Amino acid sequence: MTVLQKLKNAVRKRSIHVCYVNTGSCNGCDIEILACLAPKYDIEQYGIYVHNNPREADVILVTGGMSAQWLDKLPDLWDRVPEPKAVVTIGNCPISGCVFNRPGKLINPPVSKYIPVTAAVPGCPPRPSEIISAILGAADILFKDYEIHQTEKKGGSHK
Amino acid sequence: MKKVVDVSIPIGPIHPCFKEPCRIKCETSGERVLTTEVELGYVKKGIEKIMVGRPWQETIFLAERVCGICSVVHNTAIVEALEEISGITVPRRAQILRIILNELDRIQSHLLANYSYCYTIEHETLAMYLLNLRETSMDAIEMMTGTRIMTAYVVPGGVREDLSDKNAAGILEATYTLETELKRFVKMFETGPMIALRSKGIGVLSVEDALASGVVGPTARANGLPRDAREPDPLYHELGWHMILRTESDNFARIMLRFQELFQSINIIRNGLAALEPGKIRNGGTMKAGKVKHTVEAPRGALTYDIEIDSAGQVVSVSIQTPSIPNIEVASHAMMKNLASIADVTSTFISADPCIACAER
Repeated sequence: MTVLQKLKNAVRKRSIHVCYVNTGSCNGCDIEILACLAPKYDIEQYGIYVHNNPREADVILVTGGMSAQWLDKLPDLWDRVPEPKAVVTIGNCPISGCVFNRPGKLINPPVSKYIPVTAAVPGCPPRPSEIISAILGAADILFKDYEIHQTEKKGGSHK
Repeated sequence: MKKVVDVSIPIGPIHPCFKEPCRIKCETSGERVLTTEVELGYVKKGIEKIMVGRPWQETIFLAERVCGICSVVHNTAIVEALEEISGITVPRRAQILRIILNELDRIQSHLLANYSYCYTIEHETLAMYLLNLRETSMDAIEMMTGTRIMTAYVVPGGVREDLSDKNAAGILEATYTLETELKRFVKMFETGPMIALRSKGIGVLSVEDALASGVVGPTARANGLPRDAREPDPLYHELGWHMILRTESDNFARIMLRFQELFQSINIIRNGLAALEPGKIRNGGTMKAGKVKHTVEAPRGALTYDIEIDSAGQVVSVSIQTPSIPNIEVASHAMMKNLASIADVTSTFISADPCIACAER
């Protein structure tokens, strides 16, 4: 492992930028993400920063069960996020649609049909501590030695 | 001579200031905002459509998920509507417990609204203070109901579980923490010169516009309009409720009115805890067919459930009129009209406390 890669690993571990996208949730999960910002849970002590700007995000938090407006917008937004990137879905809605997935529904779950999902936190809504641990768990696996994994992938495809 | 070109600036749907997706289109001339238009439809779930044809037991949980911020009041509204249809009475202890929970919910909602405003005007310190204080009220809600959000505490005929003496003492303690901390933060907000620059005289809603638009809740009361759905309730008067009004009708007035209502809510909770007498918490009854229109005061204003159920207990038709609908309209058409700066658009919009999930359902 090069020095540069070690440096990148060390920096990325303490700098995870988060953007949350509400694709038709009831606000319940969104305010639990917001509660993570509060000094009681203090998401920033783990190096997670909520900026809500997809262009500088590493982790996208998706809440809600994909309303009609988001069907084309969410994959578009996902393309704009710079690599390395990951999606963590919060709540039951992105997994199954929760109580809204009934006859006469206007939502189209699951979110994994539209963009690749790394981790899912179930709950209606999940507690802030669960959200923090999910972001940290997903980020550890994804961003460590990211460049090495990418070259391995490319090398594999050339053979 | 060059002509000033009007630029249309879109804000959203993903924006650092917004908790929820919505899009504001601003027609500008230089820095001045001429007109704005709010574009909704990003979180439409069709809850009213799902409710039709379902048994009433299920609609209670669906109604709760109209809005996560004020889930308690949606729960209360639909349950009280169902009770009104069937003529079910509620024991006094359960009524007071409902009021205590609703006021705790109002505290956390108002704190969240004021947090959003302070965050939008970039006063992050005060915003974080308020968000941390909100956790005190969330803990009190958890102490009372067992969960933070989606409590399902109010059930037809009463409440789900009793409040123990230990938890009542815990809630009383929380009110003292809230009051002492709030006094400090209100003084910070009132006397901050930078906050005054960003808030006073900005986003003024004229009385004519307010009367024409049917604005409700704190946005109306900051305009001097006495609109509060708690007024006809005698129990609220008994617990020390009175109408709070302000007349400046700018961003500062709307935030200060919420701060003043927080102190009132704390007072109501204390009086409610003192008025609690041992007794039943739930009455029985039979569900009947009927149609009713019931209004309660949500943190954002008057919330109306227009519901009809048949003899089998299934919902025939339901219409949820949430307070955010008139408030978003008046924010886009009257408050954000002719603002001096683009930077004031988001702060004025947030000062009306819009809840997109409520408005679209």
